[in-house]
Amino acid sequence: MRAKLFALLVFISLAVAGFGQSAKTYTIGMSQCNLGEPWRVQMNADIRAAAAQHPELKVIFNDAQNDTLKQRAQVEEFVSAKVDLLIISPKEAQPLTEPVARAFEAGIPVIVLDRAVLGDKYTCFIGADNKKIGKAAGQWIAKKLGGKGKVVELKGLMTSIPGQDRHTGFREGIAGTDIDVIFEADMKWLEPDSRKEMESALSRFDHIDLVYAHNDPGAHGAYLAAKAAGRDGIIFVGIDALPQEGVAYVKQGILDATFRYPTGGAEAIETALKIFKGEKVPKKIVLGTRLFDKSNVATGGEPLP
Amino acid sequence: MKSFSWKSALASPAGRAFLALLLVLAAGAIFNADGAFFKIGTHRDTLRQASVYGMLACGMTLVIVSGGIDLAVGSLVALAAVCAGKMAIHWNWPWWQVVPGCLAVGLTCGAVSGWVTATLRVQPFIATLSMMVLARGLAKFASGGMKVSTAVQNPDGSYRYVDVPPLFRAIDHRILGGNLSVVTVIFLVCVALAWLALSRHRWGRYLYAIGGNEEASRLSGVPVTGAKICAYAASGLFAAVAGLCQAAQEQQGDPEAGSGYELTAIAMVVIGGTSLMGGRGGIGLTLFGVLTIGYLDKILSINAVPEAGRLVLTGIIIVAAVLTQRRGRT
Repeated sequence: MRAKLFALLVFISLAVAGFGQSAKTYTIGMSQCNLGEPWRVQMNADIRAAAAQHPELKVIFNDAQNDTLKQRAQVEEFVSAKVDLLIISPKEAQPLTEPVARAFEAGIPVIVLDRAVLGDKYTCFIGADNKKIGKAAGQWIAKKLGGKGKVVELKGLMTSIPGQDRHTGFREGIAGTDIDVIFEADMKWLEPDSRKEMESALSRFDHIDLVYAHNDPGAHGAYLAAKAAGRDGIIFVGIDALPQEGVAYVKQGILDATFRYPTGGAEAIETALKIFKGEKVPKKIVLGTRLFDKSNVATGGEPLP
Repeated sequence: MKSFSWKSALASPAGRAFLALLLVLAAGAIFNADGAFFKIGTHRDTLRQASVYGMLACGMTLVIVSGGIDLAVGSLVALAAVCAGKMAIHWNWPWWQVVPGCLAVGLTCGAVSGWVTATLRVQPFIATLSMMVLARGLAKFASGGMKVSTAVQNPDGSYRYVDVPPLFRAIDHRILGGNLSVVTVIFLVCVALAWLALSRHRWGRYLYAIGGNEEASRLSGVPVTGAKICAYAASGLFAAVAGLCQAAQEQQGDPEAGSGYELTAIAMVVIGGTSLMGGRGGIGLTLFGVLTIGYLDKILSINAVPEAGRLVLTGIIIVAAVLTQRRGRT
């Protein structure tokens, strides 16, 4: 299977090289750690859409199915297929640091997306800052509530770094206000769990001003719980703002706001083009977030610093 | 005239299962989270949350009584949910096409695992493990890895928004003045059907016989292969019902739904007192198991117990409940 895949890759790169006689074309290998999450599906879609604007780019996508060693093998396959550039969204830092470094040392530029690797043997890291996004959400909430109110926080998996960062960032954002987090629970990023926890919050507290969930499905689950309980007037805020999830929920009036956790797919292709042109690229690009609420959702949200 | 005695009541598996439930309810009365446990809404929500698991547990009981196990039910929830989402939201089918369509998918997948284990003699663990992986793959394939939601992608990549289908609204509705979820009613219907099949039909007797001693049943003329295939098909059918309810409650078909649900369903069956060795148990017991785990989960949730503590407590309580069950047999 792997040999076949490898042969296919070689064939594709040869074919691409053959076509490239008239105009120079570039093959980009993209190693995605897991396509089981909609956000990562969106990342691939963003890369595909950005690359489609540039006919000289050819992107080969690989899904490591949440398996570190599989992803390592994919990186090695890309290196032996001599791709012109490697984009990797690694599953874990430690085990993928060395394969990425070897690709980099073999002269292949490497763009690391979302999750970092250790050391500095890569060309460019592109990622967002969950703490910053959490803080932006906290500040927006503080403003929305006039610095005072009762808030339910539905947390993502608290053993995961994004969950922890979205929590601490949020607490920083509301620090110094009279906002009271009356109920917090770990809903593990899952909508059914979020609905369950929200139902508990609803049966305990007769008055809730706002629900802050660490992702949009969580906020949606909480909304469904409140709606079923006939409780109106609660504000729902989520994070991620995928076009078919959070942004759609804001458009439909389900969520009041969502903050985008950008995939960096478009930026990765932009950076790749710069690298191909021989331009210098920064070692680290931190992506800003984007706020979507009722007032701006139709126009594509508002960028936050 | 036999007089009621506590001793004999507690010696029966049903008595012990009931005791476990009473203990959990007592714990809820003590740790009532500022009176939240005494609100009707809390109990309605508990029953609603336990219902999807409970439907899986009904099918699981049939399979476990026959001496098998069905690991595929969690994935079948996802597959049925994705199918429901596709048919009801994207293709705008009416309910009388969506419901049979979903059920047929579950029934077929269940029958396939049953056929592989009964006819091809693959161990149930392996046969249903394969179906678990296969069905998850089908769910992801059918949905393209994305949730099938009311945001429908147009061919040009933009999104249009459609209404939540009436079928989903009807399933995620409440009756009796808002005090009973329709999902719970569906669960109770599943319990009734499974009970009729297992306790009042010849097929149920066959399952007990097969679970007790498969070879002896075969020699005494029990249609072992057919009865077993039907058990797995029924489990797939209940899983499809659960998937439909899951999709209705989430208002979308999530290809990642239901992962790990099979283990909760097995725990519910076993806590009730149905033996994993097969041949012993029943749907009534499973109902106790469903309520016990459902209430335990709710009590931990209203008290906002941190995740680590919940897992530890749930683990301890499952072992304790199963140990009491086992002592009743020796």
